[in-house]
Amino acid sequence: MDDVTLDAGPRWRTAMFAETAGGGRVRCTLCPFRCVLADGQSGVCKVRRNDGGTLRTASYTAAVTHLTPVERKPFYHVRPGASVLTVAGPGCSFRCDYCINSRLSQYGRDDDAPWLGEPARPAELAAEAARAGALLGMSYSEPSLAPELTLDLAAHGVPVVWKSNGYVTPEAIAVLAPALLAVNIDIKAADEAAHRRLTGASLGPVWKAVEEFRAAGVWVELSTPLIPGTSASPQTISVIAARIASIDANIPWHLLRFTPDYRMRRAAPTQPSALASARAIGREAGLAFVYVERALGSPGRNTSCPECGTQLVDRGVWSMVHNRLRDGRCPGCEFSMPGRW
Amino acid sequence: MTAVQHVFTESLPDLIDASEYSRYPDGTLVRIRISVTDAGVEILGDGLRPELIEQVLAAIGDGPMEQMLCG
Repeated sequence: MDDVTLDAGPRWRTAMFAETAGGGRVRCTLCPFRCVLADGQSGVCKVRRNDGGTLRTASYTAAVTHLTPVERKPFYHVRPGASVLTVAGPGCSFRCDYCINSRLSQYGRDDDAPWLGEPARPAELAAEAARAGALLGMSYSEPSLAPELTLDLAAHGVPVVWKSNGYVTPEAIAVLAPALLAVNIDIKAADEAAHRRLTGASLGPVWKAVEEFRAAGVWVELSTPLIPGTSASPQTISVIAARIASIDANIPWHLLRFTPDYRMRRAAPTQPSALASARAIGREAGLAFVYVERALGSPGRNTSCPECGTQLVDRGVWSMVHNRLRDGRCPGCEFSMPGRW
Repeated sequence: MTAVQHVFTESLPDLIDASEYSRYPDGTLVRIRISVTDAGVEILGDGLRPELIEQVLAAIGDGPMEQMLCG
């Protein structure tokens, strides 16, 4: 693909998932906003735009390249103890009020989020990951806005994982799923109104993406931050847990602390007791794997066999301490643990 | 006053243990560690409200401010 510099910041290149929409307009079919863009206009995400009738993207970018444990994404049922070389460029399709990463994710919306990064070099990134024995990851901002980079990274043979908001169209998932080992998707609300208020986007397509990724063979874990007024109440947690259980009770569910930041600085941080209650609600809903990273200590992070109770994976904060799985099976009862081991 | 330069970093040490969370329900705890290194003075902050840490660090000096990203 060609690189074109249109200003002093991003490097724009031809994007996938584009349709002509008449009158020089282009429809982007990457995310469910399905923006129809006039010449020179950017999409909701601010990193895809119509340039003379051609859809171009700025997301083929590495602003951050970090080597961190897979447990930090978080993934608890994907290669425990593995490292992930995470690549991220600016941009997000959501505008969440609590975003801790807003200085990167909210490029194009906030003055505090300037353009950062340089064109990504997939071969070099894949080689660096391979040298470290690591997976490749895309997170911090919204990885689904970089389908071109995802496919080019995967072409080098290193497994790729995403931490995503799940706002991706079925047609994009169909193309991208073969390139992905696993996706962790945020479920940030239980109903449409709350989700739109927080993120600016609809919730329905996120649940659809969960099912589409799973149907395509991608391993899916889910995360829910306990956001005051959106997802923190027991009633809301209960609705989300029931929805997950209706899809598959073996989907790992990560409950995350809310940290007051960005446009939600007045609210208090999540208390450990609220996370304990949420975990109990998840278990009562029948979910086999409900996790809390830090606030409840190691019992919140460890994985036990749902059949015989044998403790299978012990974790520290963002690390794997001990893995007793044998070829993905419980050594006590031979139960085949769901995941990508 | 110059704008603070924010730098995204892979990892920073914790100064607060999760067992302390419940003692500060309003999230007002901020812990600071000041070290002298070969590169100069390093100030590490940890807290339950990033805004408070950044206020403290900005008041101390205008050097680059490192932060970890979520995810």
